[in-house]
Amino acid sequence: MTPECSRVMDCLGETLPPDLAAHVARCQECQVVTGGFEFISGPSLAGPSLAPAALASAASSDDEDDEDTLPGQLDARRFALEALAKQPKARPWWHGLALLVGVHAATVGVGLVLLSRDFWVRNAAHSSLVVGVGVLILALLAAGTYVALSPQRRVVPWVAVLATSGALGLTVVLTGSGQQGKSFLAGLVGCMGTELAVTVVPLAVTLVLLSRSAFHPARALAAGLSAGAASLLVLHLHCPDGTASHLLWGHVVPWLGLGGIAVLLRSRLPTSSHAP
Amino acid sequence: MKPASAPVRTGDDSGRASVALESDEVLMARFCEGQAPAFDALFQRHSRQVRGYLTRLTGSASTAEDLVQLTFMSLVRARGRFLPGSRFKPWLYAIATNAARDFQRRGRRPEELTPEGELPTGIADESPGPRDVGLERAVRQALDALPESQRIPILLHRFEGMGFAEIADTLGLTESAVKVRAHRGYLRLRELLAALRTETLE
Repeated sequence: MTPECSRVMDCLGETLPPDLAAHVARCQECQVVTGGFEFISGPSLAGPSLAPAALASAASSDDEDDEDTLPGQLDARRFALEALAKQPKARPWWHGLALLVGVHAATVGVGLVLLSRDFWVRNAAHSSLVVGVGVLILALLAAGTYVALSPQRRVVPWVAVLATSGALGLTVVLTGSGQQGKSFLAGLVGCMGTELAVTVVPLAVTLVLLSRSAFHPARALAAGLSAGAASLLVLHLHCPDGTASHLLWGHVVPWLGLGGIAVLLRSRLPTSSHAP
Repeated sequence: MKPASAPVRTGDDSGRASVALESDEVLMARFCEGQAPAFDALFQRHSRQVRGYLTRLTGSASTAEDLVQLTFMSLVRARGRFLPGSRFKPWLYAIATNAARDFQRRGRRPEELTPEGELPTGIADESPGPRDVGLERAVRQALDALPESQRIPILLHRFEGMGFAEIADTLGLTESAVKVRAHRGYLRLRELLAALRTETLE
């Protein structure tokens, strides 16, 4: 490939300068390449990108455009007008965030009220540890909810989500009181069941809100972990069993599993909007 | 979807002329405030380009038509997620890209499969005119042979005229990451097209 051929490659899709156009006229290889790319461009579909001024004039020449507009495109325009008629002003994205935070807060509150009999906090660990881990869980809950619903386009790294959740899980396990509660199996079943039951409502609301934007697995995972964090916090405060094995298999593993379930369910739900 | 009986008309000619001069971002802000002509102008400006992009991305004009509808319906539904101060075009193309990914993730339409329920081996030539169909198909397959991470930056750069910063905004990546992907894609494309040249000469 000659340097001129290389320059033609760099200019594919653009108007060629005269020297390169002359080269293409006598170079069989470049004719093959440019011919192929002209086809890929789709002469009736795209052509060169339009300048703003051309776009403005295109928008003003409405009659011509309407003749060429696809029937399906007209449907989209009609849909927009119907949507505007129903709700003229756009609802800010943070309304969904506020709703979900509210649901999480209500879930924690109701869960503690229903589970607690004599004591709100039955975790026998040192109070500073109980408060510290509780704050960490709350922080993850809030951050996960924000990451899940924020319209920021930056890709959420899997590693960050997994590392954060893994670190929190490890912290929960290592800061247990060590106090033995019921038998291992009975405690496991009780806490797993409680965790699943408490998470149902926040997870359902989370999935509904997630389906209003494009599917991103890492975001869905963050959302699921965030929803599960509400029940993790309830268990952290309520459960008197502080052995590492119980905390691992009864609290942390089900919580991580809820994150995976959220990803699975979200991937199968229809998406109402593909916006970031 | 069935076609509408008549084109949707919104606003008078003077209003249409004024919105035509506004930037995309101003129009989007107006649309978020409930002004329908602003959406109409955005649609007129971008629907063809988005359709072209989706055609190249999916390899099917009919699929692209459906996805254009989905893209603009998503825009309407999620207009509250457009952040003031951000650029409109990358946001729109991010929606289109997500719609295409969702389509590919969920599987193709039944009419695009072979009677045996398998994916077609080649993309049907939907363009009229005397062309070297085999060559066109081969070149198109060369582009399709690129991984999505390299193909989308090339499509946006070469065919949509977007800068690397805009592409980074569209894909949620850093600008340097996009440049690396595009560079690798162009290198790979050259290899594929060189192989094509050899086949043609043979």
